[in-house]
Amino acid sequence: MISIEYYLLLSAFMFCAGVVGVLVRRNAIVVFMCIELMLNAVNLTLITFSAYFGDPRGQVLVFFVMVVAAAEAAVGLAIVIALFRNKLTVNIDEINILKW
Amino acid sequence: MIEQILSNMWYIRPEIALTITCLAAILADVFFKRKALVAGVVLGGLLASGVLLMEQYGVSAPAFSHMLAVDPFSVYFRGVILVTAMFVVLFSLSSVEINNPRLRVGEYYALIVAMTLGMTLMAGSSNMLMMYLSLELTSLSSYILAGFTKNAPASAEASLKYVIFGALSSGLMLYGISILYGLTGSLDIYAINHVLMTMGANRLALLIAGVLIMAGFGYKISAVPFHFWTPDVYEGAPVTITAFLSVASKAAGFSMLMRFMKVTFIDSTFAGPVGTWALIPGFEFTNILIVLSVLTMTLGNLVAVWQKNVKRLLAYSSIAHAGYMLMGLVVLGNDGFAAVLIYFVIYMFMNLGAFFVVMLVSNKTGSEHIDTYKGLGSRAPLLSVAMAIFLVSLTGLPPTAGFIGKLYLFAALINAKMIWLAIVGALNSVVSLYYYVLIFRNMFLREGTGSTEPLKFALSDNIILFLLLIPTLVLGLYFTPLVQFAQYSVAMFGVR
Amino acid sequence: MNIELIDIIFYFLAIVVIASASVVVFSRNILYSAFSLLFTFVGVAGLYVLLTADFLAITQLVVYVGGILVLILFGVMLTNNVFNVDIKTGSIKTLPALVLTAVMAGVLCGIFFFTQWTVRPSEVVPTSTAPAIGMALMTGYILPFEVASVVLLVAMIGAAMIARRDTGKQN
Repeated sequence: MISIEYYLLLSAFMFCAGVVGVLVRRNAIVVFMCIELMLNAVNLTLITFSAYFGDPRGQVLVFFVMVVAAAEAAVGLAIVIALFRNKLTVNIDEINILKW
Repeated sequence: MIEQILSNMWYIRPEIALTITCLAAILADVFFKRKALVAGVVLGGLLASGVLLMEQYGVSAPAFSHMLAVDPFSVYFRGVILVTAMFVVLFSLSSVEINNPRLRVGEYYALIVAMTLGMTLMAGSSNMLMMYLSLELTSLSSYILAGFTKNAPASAEASLKYVIFGALSSGLMLYGISILYGLTGSLDIYAINHVLMTMGANRLALLIAGVLIMAGFGYKISAVPFHFWTPDVYEGAPVTITAFLSVASKAAGFSMLMRFMKVTFIDSTFAGPVGTWALIPGFEFTNILIVLSVLTMTLGNLVAVWQKNVKRLLAYSSIAHAGYMLMGLVVLGNDGFAAVLIYFVIYMFMNLGAFFVVMLVSNKTGSEHIDTYKGLGSRAPLLSVAMAIFLVSLTGLPPTAGFIGKLYLFAALINAKMIWLAIVGALNSVVSLYYYVLIFRNMFLREGTGSTEPLKFALSDNIILFLLLIPTLVLGLYFTPLVQFAQYSVAMFGVR
Repeated sequence: MNIELIDIIFYFLAIVVIASASVVVFSRNILYSAFSLLFTFVGVAGLYVLLTADFLAITQLVVYVGGILVLILFGVMLTNNVFNVDIKTGSIKTLPALVLTAVMAGVLCGIFFFTQWTVRPSEVVPTSTAPAIGMALMTGYILPFEVASVVLLVAMIGAAMIARRDTGKQN
C-alpha cells in the first residue's frame, strides 16, 4: 500500500499550485479554477486521512466542501459575467481594485 | 435517533423562524405591490426569531450531536446579530439606493435573512464542519448583497473582489481544518480538545493548522493581513449592507473565533484563579493574536487618516476596531472576553449610527465624499450633532458609550499585565481622533461650497436616528446592566 | 489485488494530477487551463477510488466535471478574449507570491513528513462507503445537511439575480 505521506505531499503540491495561481494570475476565471484546485487538494487530504483512519466523518466533510464549491463557483461566475456585461455597456476605463 | 433529532429542534427554533422568514420574503415580494410590506414581513420574522431566542436565555446544552452549542455566549451574539439585522432592514426602508424601482427587494431581504441565519449558526457552531458551512452561508449571501446594485460598477467590482478573497481564505481555512482532522481524527472541537489533552500532537503542525484556520476568521473580522477586501467592499456595497457587514459579520466572526480558541485549545488541567484559563502548553497562538491585533489597529488607523470617502474611512475605522477587540482575546481570561462582548453592543449602536448618517446624507446629496459634509452643521443640525456624538463614541471619549467599551478592554489588559499592548491601543485611539475630527471640522467649522438650503428628513428617519443615538449616550452613563449581562454571557458550554 | 499494480496506478495518477495542475496555473491560454482542469478532476477522482472512497469519486465526477467545469467553460466562452477581468494591481508581485508559496510548501511538506500520523491499519476488506456516509448525513450530520440546502438556495437565488439581464433598462 502507498504510504500516507505520498498522498499528503501530492495534496500539498496541488494546494500550493492553487495558491500561486490565485496570487499571480490576473484573469478572474483562471483564479476561480485555481480555487477549485485548492479545494480539490483539501478534499484529497481529508479523504486520505479518512481512509487511513477508517473513519467516514472526513468523507462527510468532503461532501459538504463539494456542495459549497459548486455554490461558490455559481455565484462567482455569475458575478464575473455581470461585471463583464457592465464593462461592455458602461465601459469604464480599467477595473481598478486594491488601492490603498 | 429520530426522537433525539426531534427534541433537538427546540434549540434551533430561532433559526427555523429565520428560514421561514427567508422564504416568506420571496413570496411576499410576489404577492405585495408595496415594498414596505416585504420589509414588514421580514421585520416580523426577525422579531419572532428574537422572541424564540429569548426563551433560550440561561440554557447551556449541546444540540444535534455536538454540531451546535446553545449557551449564554451564543445567545448573546445571536441577539447582537438579530438586532443589527432589524436595524439594517429599517435602514433599507429609507435608503434611496435600495428602493430604486429597477431592483427587486424580495431577493434583497431574503438574502439579508439568509445571511442572518448563517451568522446565528456561526455563533453556536461547535463542529468544524458546521463552522465552515455557516461561514460559507454568510459569505455567499454577502457576496451577492455586496453586488446588489450591480449597475453601479463599483458594486460589481467590490463583489468580485470579495468572492476571490473569500474563496482564498476559506480554502486556507479548510486546509487548516483538514490538517487538524489529520492530527486528531475528529471534527468536533470538544473531541479535538480531548485528543490534544490526552495524546498531544506535533506542536508545529498544530500551529500551522491554527494559522491556516485563522485565515478564515481573519477574513471575516477583517484583520490585517486578510483585510484587503474590506475598504473596497465597504465602499462599493450599498450603505445598508456595509453597515450590516461591519457589525454583524464581524460579531459572527468574533464569536466563532472566540469559541474555537477557547474550546479547542484550552488547557483543561489548568488550575489558576477562577475566570482565567490557559491554552495547551507549547502552543503559541496568543502571540499570533497579539501581532494580528497590533497590525490591525495600527494599519486601520493610519490608512484611515488620508481617506476622502467617508464610507471608506469608516471601513478603515472598522478594521481598527477589530484590532481593539482582538486585544480582549489575548488576555486569556473571562474579563477579556466580557470586555469584547460589552464592546460589541456599544460598537453596534455607534457604528450603525455613523453609517446611518452617511446613508441619509448620501440619500440627499448622492455623495459620500468628505467635502459633502462641509457646512452640514447649519444645513442639518440634528444630523450633524448625532454624527458628532457617534464619532466621539467611536474615538472612545467620555461621556459616550465608546469610552466604557474601551475602558473595560484596557482594564482587562492591565489586569493581565499587558500594559504595553494597552499603550499601543491608547496611542491608536489618539490617531483615530485625528480623522474623526476631520469630519467634525467639515461639518461645523467649514462653509459649504454648494447648496446651503437645509436638508429635511422624514420623521421615521429621525426616530431610527434616536433609537441609535440614545443607547450610545445612555450606555456611557448607565452601563451596569450591560456589563453584568456580558459577564454572565461569557459562559460557554463545556468549558470553565 | 496486486500491490505493484496499485503503486503503478498511483504514480500514473499523481503524474497526471501534477502535470495538469501545473498547466491550469501557468498556461497562458485560458482554454488550455480549463481543459487541463478536467484531467486534474478526473485524476483526483481516480485517487479517491484508490483510497476506497467510491461514493465521493462518483460525486467528484458529477459535481466537479459535470457541474463546476461546465460552468467554468461557460464563463470562458461568455467572456474570453473580449477583456480580462483584471483583479490585481501591483501590490502582490509575482516574485513575493512565489517566495511566499514556496515557504508554505516547505512548511507543509515538513509537517507532513515529520508528523507521526496515527494510522490505524484496517484489516477489514474495503466496502462501499455510501451507506456509512448516508447514515451519517441522516443522523449526526442532519443539521449541516439542512443548512447545505439553504446554501444551495442562496446560491441559486443569488446567481440568477446577479447574472440576469436587467429588464428595467429597456423600459
